[in-house]
Amino acid sequence: MRETWVVGAATTRYGKLPDSGREAATRVALEAIDGSGIDPKRIGYTFVSNAFGVAERQAHVGPLINTALGIPDVPSATIESACSSSSAGLHEAFVHVAGGFADAVLVVGVEKLSHLDTLTATSYFAMGADYPFETRNGATFPGLYATLAYVHRQKYGTTSEELGAIAVKNHANAARNPHAHFQKEITLETYLRSPVIASPLRLYDCCPFSDGAAAVVVAAREAAGTPSSEPLVIRASARSGSVADMQDRLDLTGLPATRTAAVAAFRQAGIGPDAVDFLEVHDCFTIAEVLALEDLGFYPKGAAARAGPEGETARDGRLPVNPSGGLKAKGHPVSATGAGQVVEIFEQFNHRAGARQVPKTEWALAHNVGATGGSCSVHLFSHR
Amino acid sequence: MAEESVGPHSIEAFRHGYEEESRLRGFRSGCGFVTATWVLVCPRCGIRDLVEADLGSTGRLVAYTVQTVPSDEFLNDAPYAYVVVDLDGGGRVTGWMAGITEESELAAGDRVRFSPTYKPGVQFVRDRPNGGGP
Repeated sequence: MRETWVVGAATTRYGKLPDSGREAATRVALEAIDGSGIDPKRIGYTFVSNAFGVAERQAHVGPLINTALGIPDVPSATIESACSSSSAGLHEAFVHVAGGFADAVLVVGVEKLSHLDTLTATSYFAMGADYPFETRNGATFPGLYATLAYVHRQKYGTTSEELGAIAVKNHANAARNPHAHFQKEITLETYLRSPVIASPLRLYDCCPFSDGAAAVVVAAREAAGTPSSEPLVIRASARSGSVADMQDRLDLTGLPATRTAAVAAFRQAGIGPDAVDFLEVHDCFTIAEVLALEDLGFYPKGAAARAGPEGETARDGRLPVNPSGGLKAKGHPVSATGAGQVVEIFEQFNHRAGARQVPKTEWALAHNVGATGGSCSVHLFSHR
Repeated sequence: MAEESVGPHSIEAFRHGYEEESRLRGFRSGCGFVTATWVLVCPRCGIRDLVEADLGSTGRLVAYTVQTVPSDEFLNDAPYAYVVVDLDGGGRVTGWMAGITEESELAAGDRVRFSPTYKPGVQFVRDRPNGGGP
């Protein structure tokens, strides 16, 4: 396998895109290509993620983006894996480059749902669940994760204050991120006063519906030349799946796909969790950050919820988690989220994260979940 | 007149079971796993000779949430409970319970009974010892 780098990365601000998803995706792709120093003609493939493109009456957006980028001959494919779509695209890029099928690959994720009302957007999100066996039985995404939160609380005593501390932390980080959807801090009191959306989860436990686009350029070391930014070396690119429906899982205290993807990723990289300096994890709901930290192997089962109140996962803590603000506060433009996590790690590795810069950046982990864990990506990055 | 029969190995058969026959259907695998989801092969052990099974209509709550923000098909039903139920006949199924407005109205371990209504999907009600409704 060839050593494979992330050599360029760019993102829009998350929140409400003024233009179409197609335009935003093309703009960030061009910015990522320009920043990479890669000749666009060396791009051998474009993987685009846009799970809810139909909300803009658009499918097959890859050729439109490539045409607007001046590379119409480059093949493209749309990669859909619900909320883990663009990290799945990154995995495909890694496979192509590491395997020698392309010298450079463009990965783009984009979503635009802000023109929909909350009810319609909630219904779109629910399409990532099993329609006849979950959604038709009343499930929404907050409801599915709330069910996991209920089980975690029953088994481990996880409290609202512990979940609230995660929301407070991630809002504090997002307030220092010019790309974040929410750029204001909240207090625990604000969190506790917010309305229940799906018990025990409150409004401030939930990520927002965000528009956004993010892009990364992946290249073989020998094709990268002398990049202008410090590249991320992809030390592991692991994907896993699990039984999709909650009703077929006997254990509801975590996400099995996170566990198996993490084991594979750490094996690929030849390190353990102790070597990781900071993480971007899939916190679509506060409970999801708890589950991620436990399933990835950073905390024993039932022990991660205390990390928030004790400050361990703050950006200046022992293990900074979601310095970007995470899905919870940076925002969650479904198909852009995975690529956006990599943009944050790229900025952190290059010490361009400003007020949210974490102190150590030798190793970082990105964790991105599709739906309630039917899919999961774990990537590990280090310096050259 | 009897409805035209639908094969057991179809999602439509599940829907028909819920809505027309008041049956919760599933498959029993040779490894002991019981699923109430449409599959062709056991997701646990990989064998194909699954046996169709009636899973009964009663069980106990494993987990639940009270949802105040519904999806569009439940617009007029919120708040309601989304529930995970271990069925007495084996298998685990998800469904919903109308009229639950507070988390404190239910508890893990509560007995519930499948009770189909006009609305699609799997609806449960509290199971009273004398067979009474909610």
